[in-house]
Amino acid sequence: MTSTPLDVPQRPAATRWALEAQDLDKSFGGTPALRGAHLTVAPGLIHALLGGNGSGKSTLIKCVAGVYTADAGVVSVHGSAMPAAQITPRAARDAGLRFVHQDLGMFSSLTVAENLALSDGFPTTAWQGIRWRDLHDRAEALLERFDIRVRPTDTVGELRPSQQTMVAIARALADQRDRDAGGHILILDEPTASLPENESAELMRALRSRADAGQTIVLVSHRFREIEAVADDVTVFRDGRVAGTGPVGEMSSDRVVDLMTGSAAGITGTPAAPTRPAPTAAPSRATSGTPAESVFTARGLVAGSLAGLDLSVSRGEIVGLAGLAGSGRSSVLRAVFGDLPLKAGSMHLMGRPHQPAGPGDAVSAGVAFVPENRVRDAAFLDMSVRENATMTRIGRYWRRLVMDLRTERAETRSLIERHAIRTAGTELPMASLSGGNQQKVVLGRWLQQDPDLLLLDEPTQGVDVMSRREIYATLHEIAAEGCAMVVASSDLDELMELCDRIVVLTDGRPTAELHARGLRREELAAAVLTGAPAAQETKGTEKT
Amino acid sequence: MSTSTSTSVTRPSRPGRGEPTKDRPARQGGRSAPLGHHLERWALPLLLVVIIVFFALFPPSSGVFLSGANIGVVLGNQAVVTLVAIGLMLPLVCGHFDFSVGSTAVFASVVTAAGMAHFALPWWVACLAGVAAGAVIGAVNGILVARFGMNAFVSTLGMATLLGGLIQWYTGGLAIIGVDPGFMAFGSGTWLGLPRVVFVVAVIVLGVWYLLTHTPYGRALYAIGSNARSAALVGLPTTRHVLTAFMLSGILAAMAGVLLAARTGGANADNGTYLLFPALTAVFLGATAILPGRFNVLGTIVGVLFVAVSVSGLTLSGAQNWVDQVFNGAALLVAVGLSSYLRRRRTGGNG
Repeated sequence: MTSTPLDVPQRPAATRWALEAQDLDKSFGGTPALRGAHLTVAPGLIHALLGGNGSGKSTLIKCVAGVYTADAGVVSVHGSAMPAAQITPRAARDAGLRFVHQDLGMFSSLTVAENLALSDGFPTTAWQGIRWRDLHDRAEALLERFDIRVRPTDTVGELRPSQQTMVAIARALADQRDRDAGGHILILDEPTASLPENESAELMRALRSRADAGQTIVLVSHRFREIEAVADDVTVFRDGRVAGTGPVGEMSSDRVVDLMTGSAAGITGTPAAPTRPAPTAAPSRATSGTPAESVFTARGLVAGSLAGLDLSVSRGEIVGLAGLAGSGRSSVLRAVFGDLPLKAGSMHLMGRPHQPAGPGDAVSAGVAFVPENRVRDAAFLDMSVRENATMTRIGRYWRRLVMDLRTERAETRSLIERHAIRTAGTELPMASLSGGNQQKVVLGRWLQQDPDLLLLDEPTQGVDVMSRREIYATLHEIAAEGCAMVVASSDLDELMELCDRIVVLTDGRPTAELHARGLRREELAAAVLTGAPAAQETKGTEKT
Repeated sequence: MSTSTSTSVTRPSRPGRGEPTKDRPARQGGRSAPLGHHLERWALPLLLVVIIVFFALFPPSSGVFLSGANIGVVLGNQAVVTLVAIGLMLPLVCGHFDFSVGSTAVFASVVTAAGMAHFALPWWVACLAGVAAGAVIGAVNGILVARFGMNAFVSTLGMATLLGGLIQWYTGGLAIIGVDPGFMAFGSGTWLGLPRVVFVVAVIVLGVWYLLTHTPYGRALYAIGSNARSAALVGLPTTRHVLTAFMLSGILAAMAGVLLAARTGGANADNGTYLLFPALTAVFLGATAILPGRFNVLGTIVGVLFVAVSVSGLTLSGAQNWVDQVFNGAALLVAVGLSSYLRRRRTGGNG
């Protein structure tokens, strides 16, 4: 234990905490991401870090890992302190911190033994050949030690996701002997974010048994429900600060949600179970009064990570899809757009059966789709703004056997004007526009088509505040004109702002349906974060 | 914490809706394009003119370089390469290589020549058979790439090798002779002092130029080449378009083969690489001119002429045989480097 002399108030029992972070500050270009964050992790326990997107939990982990350089603060591992600003990935590793990131960094086409050896080194002969037997023996011993039931010769890509995570954990902890199980501190960043429920439960069981054997584990998550059963301590983050911390037994699901959403001061009672009466029929903003005319209905939709969804959208209605990553938000949109084949279920659009064989069918049926990843799925970066803006309707400019470039330019100019797109001309490459303006071009090209149903996936991701305002205004405008919309978003404020009705998805099933009018953010957050059938009307009863 | 860097932090916010953009300096493009942009567009054509002037004045070549005979020879020889290059361009526009165009051309010339010499077919039936063979080859390429998602780089290389082998098997390594004399006369005849094939090629090239710049199909091909996923998600039938692009490529290469048979009065047992590489060079050189960063027909024509004129001038100046290959190779390297640089600059490093 090489304690560097620092003017840090040394605790009487310095080794009481396996990991301690004090007064961590970190800001990115003036925006604070961490503000005086404290974290104390007791040895041999599972400590969960909870918080919404941008709450600072991942930033804290990255500061401790040396990935980010903290602005201020001190980090102590087993009592030996170092200034947080001086931590490098190397120093973190030497101090005994082991990280397993959400992207496991595994090579799925290589075997388990090879993956383990890539960080550990291959045992070689004098001529640099690999001693395969040694390699497999070593891997087998490690797998046995971690109680992972796979063979060293299995290809990693063929393992179940929870097994892959366990192999990644074994790899991270390979140089730790059983005797000093308390030595290393294992830090997992959202290990279950992309796992189905049964897989994440299995991973949690495996982690629990590691902790029971004395392993200190820090677990970053935003699903309280799944860590409730395995964690010993919980620290909740909000806005870069620690909102609350304590043993898991003292943390009820309600209290955690309060801490995460910042409503603890106001309503301490039962925010997750709102007393508001559940409206039966959805009176949408545009058509309130008249009976809602249904534009789109889906029954028992199963596709991608979607495990059964009924959905109906009326004329002029904006329906939101909320849920954590992997909950099936995007799958809904892609299935409706014909980009994801249906495994089961049926859809109707404008009263007619909607069975698109591909996006082309959906487009001609009057559906438009603004995908989540603009650069990858929507933009033609090296083509001009004009070509991007008219890509959905190139056939219309083919008049008298030539492309009517004059009309195309004129219509592009009016599109640029209508959506206040900031560009120096119609012929500039799309790449020269800012993200927000690119998004307005993508949106604009669909709106020119006058779609009956507009699907939007994270419509303002990577979009500046100004453009976001403009996009919201445009969407409200066209909803008022009668366009039906489905918006999938991880941004709860966006859903609150845009939608008439919000469907919350958990593991591919709807777990709540909330009406936006009078909805409080914390209610929505509670429904999304707990995944429990908390509020109002509840569907999907057969939850495990 | 979004890590996206594309938000417009650096962009001055302008509240006015649809404000005219005249107060913003045009960085490139637009109506008031700066000199650099024009220079980029016209650099290759300009260089072509400079080379022509140079060889016309350079004593060792000035005697014959600009003579009608030499011009005829250069253009006639390049007619076939031009068609192959135009054919190669279509799959390239939608983002796929087609290395089989050279051997498709030779294969079609063998079919055409054999149709007349071995099966005594009328000349036009033999020509149609040659073109049909190219269409089938292109369709197979297209199905492999578009339907089965095979890597075009590898699968068309395989097709090229396969065709080369079939040509060897059928011809036994010998040239096919004995085609219709009228067919041969067409191939070597001239109109207005230029080889007749040049006019045929000009018409076909015009057609492809029209297809790429003045039809929705052409626009769709460029879109697929720019971002296939985006193209699919705006509802374009990407599979069908890629397939037809390969088919058209096969047809155009086969037409080149038919012209080849007409010019040589038969067919040679060859694998067609001598057609493929000049065509590749021309297409990539073409992507640096007229519409920089984009494969385009006019640029490709300039590319073909650039290589042909340079090689002709060098040969007339007494350069050795190997100069041809060295020049082609060097031009290809420079062209590929330049065109990918231009594309990257257009997409801001994302290309």
